[in-house]
Amino acid sequence: MPILEVVSLRKVYPRFTLDSVSFTLEKGRIMGLIGRNGAGKTTTLKSIFDVVHPDGGSVRLLGMDMPENEREIKRRIGYAGGGVDWYMRSPIRKIARVTSAFYPNWDESEYNKYLSAFSLDESKSPRELSEGMKVKFSLTLALSHRAELLILDEPTSGLDPVSRAELLDVFRFLRDKGVAILFSTHITTDLEKCADDITYIANGRIVASGPLDAFLAKSKDEGRGESLEDIMVSYEKESLYEKLAD
Amino acid sequence: MKNLLIKELRLAASPLSYIFLSASLMTFLPGYPILMSAFFICLGIFQSFQSAREANDIQYSVLLPVAKRDVVRAKYLFVCLIELCGFCLCGAFTALRMTLLGNAAPYVTNALMNANPVYLAFVLLIFASFNFLFVGGFFKTGYKFALPFVSFGAATLILVALAETLRHIPALAFLHTPSGERLGLQFAALGGAAAIYAAVTFLSCRRSERRFEKLDL
Repeated sequence: MPILEVVSLRKVYPRFTLDSVSFTLEKGRIMGLIGRNGAGKTTTLKSIFDVVHPDGGSVRLLGMDMPENEREIKRRIGYAGGGVDWYMRSPIRKIARVTSAFYPNWDESEYNKYLSAFSLDESKSPRELSEGMKVKFSLTLALSHRAELLILDEPTSGLDPVSRAELLDVFRFLRDKGVAILFSTHITTDLEKCADDITYIANGRIVASGPLDAFLAKSKDEGRGESLEDIMVSYEKESLYEKLAD
Repeated sequence: MKNLLIKELRLAASPLSYIFLSASLMTFLPGYPILMSAFFICLGIFQSFQSAREANDIQYSVLLPVAKRDVVRAKYLFVCLIELCGFCLCGAFTALRMTLLGNAAPYVTNALMNANPVYLAFVLLIFASFNFLFVGGFFKTGYKFALPFVSFGAATLILVALAETLRHIPALAFLHTPSGERLGLQFAALGGAAAIYAAVTFLSCRRSERRFEKLDL
């Protein structure tokens, strides 16, 4: 049974439509949601979590329908819009204490383990943390309640190369523990280092969804290039030079 | 709900919400429109909405394993808790003014509204208007509160003006009596205001739940 099943997801905005987005994610796999800025990645993730309301389609998480089983699902998954961007001036100790009360399966020893592994100082507030540390704190909160699925929106954006490499290390460790991860990014090199699957969105529509290796092989055969970056450019680049010259 | 209320009290609330409860001491001021105490208590609650918005509290809350309607209910619960504290303080100070301080010269010659059950009734009406206009208005969008607060400010002015002028109508002179006289009528007015407060707050909360459920955050 897929841990996440998105079927024909549709969200209509006045100037943008997310149309018939479908994909599945299995337990213990990392899926990258790629696409250029404005392609619909964040809308997709927010729709999955019902933070924005889809106009059509269905989402099943852990075998349960969203939003009917909202509380149970949220107890078992973690969502982060990148790093922490709330309660920027409150000590993370205080945020963690308040947050932990909402999760019956909160594990204090896991919390301390990640706190120590990520070198997070509980007396600091999120505004005192680097972008990389904010993402790590966000992950700490999610992992301390033993999230089975992590949904992360652009977690590697704005991070330096070392922080990104460390974060990808964490993703691989979590995958080996059986956690499924869905993260959006437009930094294609991150995906090549850790993703098992990709879902590629362009202008609100799915271009491809499936194992990364198969997508790379197919694109190579079609002459679109060998790297994800080349493939994305091949699919989407407009010739602005000619437009500007006209 | 208990955890959400703790979240409101520990993370979202501005200290000013608690500090502004001291505005209930205005109940003791002679020659002053003492109903402004209720306005200042609401101003303190407004500060919590402002700091919660700055802290992206709504975004944090909807990611917690709670139903969206519970996020709304917790906000109303927090507001009502502060209002209840403010009301109890105003009530205690009113009782003091009506008994121990009943014959104090400044109160005997007080030209403006006296502290009595009718004053407490108007305090509840101001709280009800805050819950309906401000809190209800805030949940239209989940982040805009300028117009809701201006609406509440205008409603407060009207209520204070009514409280200060109605008693000049001979049939309504009982509204002003400082101690003991016409207490039955005054408590009836307080009971009526309490019923209005409860009904308005309940309806506003229900409407906010519906509105918030539909919002794309």
